[in-house]
Amino acid sequence: MDKVKKSGNNARKIKLKTLPHAKDLKWPMLWWIGMEKIYRMLPWKKTAWTCAAFPIELMWIYDIFPDHPENMATVAAARKQSQRLIEHAESMGFSRDLCSYCKTNVGAYDTKIKKTLGGISKPDIVVCTNAICDTHWKWFQIMADKMNVPFFMFDIPKSVSGTDEKTLEGNIDYVVNQFYDLMTFIEKHTGKKMNEKRLYKVLDRSMELSNLWREIFEHRKSVPSPYSGAETSAAFFPLVVLPGVQIGINFFKNILADIKNLTAKGEGTMPKGQEKYRVMWEGIPFWYRMRFMYDLAQYGAVIAFEPYTYSFAPMKKKCLTMEETLRDVAKLIMDTPYAYNLERRIENFEKWIDEYKLDGVILHENMSCRPSSAGMVDLAEAIRRDKGIPVLILQCDMNDPRAYSEEQIKTRVEGFIELMEANKKR
Amino acid sequence: MMVIWLNSLTVLFFWSKRLSKMEKLAYFDSSHEMPLEIIMAAGVIPYKIMGDVHKSNDPADKYLSSFFCPAARSWLTEGLAHSKEWAGIIFAQGCNSTNRHYDIWKVHVETPFLHWFGAPLLESDAAKKYYRIELQRLISHLENHFNVKITSEKIREAIGKSNEIKKNLQRLCALRSQKDIPNRDYLAAMIKCLTCPMDDVLAWLDSEITSWNARPAFPSGKKRFLLTGSDVTYVEWMDTLDDCGIRIVRDDLSVGERFFATLIPDKDDPLDALREYYMNIPKPATRPTIQKRLDYLYKALGETKVDGVLSQNLKFCEPFAYDSVPVNNALKAKGYKVIHLERDFSPAADQQLANRLMAFVEMMEGAE
Repeated sequence: MDKVKKSGNNARKIKLKTLPHAKDLKWPMLWWIGMEKIYRMLPWKKTAWTCAAFPIELMWIYDIFPDHPENMATVAAARKQSQRLIEHAESMGFSRDLCSYCKTNVGAYDTKIKKTLGGISKPDIVVCTNAICDTHWKWFQIMADKMNVPFFMFDIPKSVSGTDEKTLEGNIDYVVNQFYDLMTFIEKHTGKKMNEKRLYKVLDRSMELSNLWREIFEHRKSVPSPYSGAETSAAFFPLVVLPGVQIGINFFKNILADIKNLTAKGEGTMPKGQEKYRVMWEGIPFWYRMRFMYDLAQYGAVIAFEPYTYSFAPMKKKCLTMEETLRDVAKLIMDTPYAYNLERRIENFEKWIDEYKLDGVILHENMSCRPSSAGMVDLAEAIRRDKGIPVLILQCDMNDPRAYSEEQIKTRVEGFIELMEANKKR
Repeated sequence: MMVIWLNSLTVLFFWSKRLSKMEKLAYFDSSHEMPLEIIMAAGVIPYKIMGDVHKSNDPADKYLSSFFCPAARSWLTEGLAHSKEWAGIIFAQGCNSTNRHYDIWKVHVETPFLHWFGAPLLESDAAKKYYRIELQRLISHLENHFNVKITSEKIREAIGKSNEIKKNLQRLCALRSQKDIPNRDYLAAMIKCLTCPMDDVLAWLDSEITSWNARPAFPSGKKRFLLTGSDVTYVEWMDTLDDCGIRIVRDDLSVGERFFATLIPDKDDPLDALREYYMNIPKPATRPTIQKRLDYLYKALGETKVDGVLSQNLKFCEPFAYDSVPVNNALKAKGYKVIHLERDFSPAADQQLANRLMAFVEMMEGAE
């Protein structure tokens, strides 16, 4: 422990290198904020609230601005506003045990906080899925009712462990039929119609964006890692709300060029020779405490892979017919890495551990995201057994700083680093 | 010769014992989504897993943290201890606990038959179509595993029995607002109906209706309440309500009125009948929409005069915790007296909770 602490102390000066184009993230962000202003100004333009795993491309196809309560909740957390918004929602009756994204959003809407602090305005429609969790639809329905706005929900069947191909086909049929229901819903409430030409154009761009992100991830397999979870957690923003538009593609191209440049020189995000431990981070980051990921560098640890941001880059491709395209998209919605069933999760985690040459895994057991936290004990056990590397389960919360205990987390992280060190020596 | 004869008897005893235990097919259902009639038509006894509040959740806590629904953890504890007594286990999609916990059960709970029934959340035409597919998939799986034929006739017969039970429960439970029926008696009746063989339940319900009818009139010192929120699965909590002067005369729980509020319609195709029934029963918080849930509450409150509404959710039961805000606000806006509380999964009387309830009842008496 002393040795680790000593190396930790020596490492206090270690800083992650930021990619030259990282600061360009402001352009897609400003574009998105500017677009919202335009969409709200022009009466024929429409806006929607959407959630993670919802095919955002559909909104761009229909020329509907996709606002994103979860994204705005992370902004509120990063701007140190989430706690007061959560407490405001709790004062309205929402239990302390409920999702902190939801409560941040409820608080933000009710207090009419500024957009730059995580505020959000009333949309024309609310659309969501239950692909990730029940919370999404409960929360969105409550807010749609509150705002008196039409509500649509995609009911995504669950691909539990062992789901066979035949069952999967039935599940896909159900989702595809709901695409047509969504088209009817949008036409009824916004007057907008599906344009097949635009569908393919948007999907092409979405595919290009996802492709670039996946290529970035390919380069993250390099040792040392050129790009850490500390940076991807912000940089993946275009995948959240901009799949299908050009601006995010330009940003990712520049990021990829920076990464290629680094890897060609054999350099990584950490100063030369400092990368000791390559770690996977599973779950949503602590948005109110993003420094956590940077602080890992003090121990020589880098987040070399995280399924969370990877989940946002499914390859939604154009197929021969619209029906086939929708089937393909339906399949992808049901197969998002963030919502993998336990068997798929173990299989993929073990694959990623090999591919990214990982020394340890941190599982964020998120009190605000029970679906993602279920099965973590089995996941940890399987990784330890099959891959022989340490796994740390950190119980905390993504948006509620009250769950974060600095010293307790530090102690546990230091123990984890020790284990990785001992494991390397074996 | 004597030894052989005794050995044969032992083997016979063992198998008869095993067969009688294997007759129960357990199901994990966070509301009332499991089409029980299909299980009955397969010739096995549907048994709703409800856990045991008196037993520690330590066995389940090896796999699930303490911030997961304690009822679902108790079900896992029950599964770990008793799955060998069951012919199999079926999960019906309810809240998030079902699909995520299915994966954990698949690893740790030994069972010869495990099935996931994907009950859709919606009522659209797409959902109706999907429901049929899921019913067929369940039937095929049961037929193949148990080597039985689940005919339309058998399903119709099961529907008939199911409706008989529902009708009897309607009659029985209507007596709650007229007679002196302790809260625990009502819950015990519900639990019996969801865990025991249907034929036994039918005979028992007949005698119970007679017995409840013979009881004294509704006690003058008690307040009539509607109970809403998470399912209550242990009688001790109902005793606490009685101790506070509260009598539950209506509810919208799945271990309660949701189970018998409506009957399975008579249709040519029994699968259509099941689909129509299960997709149209009063909504729990795990199914959209909140308005539909409210509609049943308004109907119940219109039919039965109550003094107040007791809304509660089990700690970490997210769907009902979400609903409690808009549902209670809507009820209050209509002028109903509503109290909301969160309860632990424990048979021990919670005095803080009892104090709140007693204060609420006293406040009502004061207002009168």
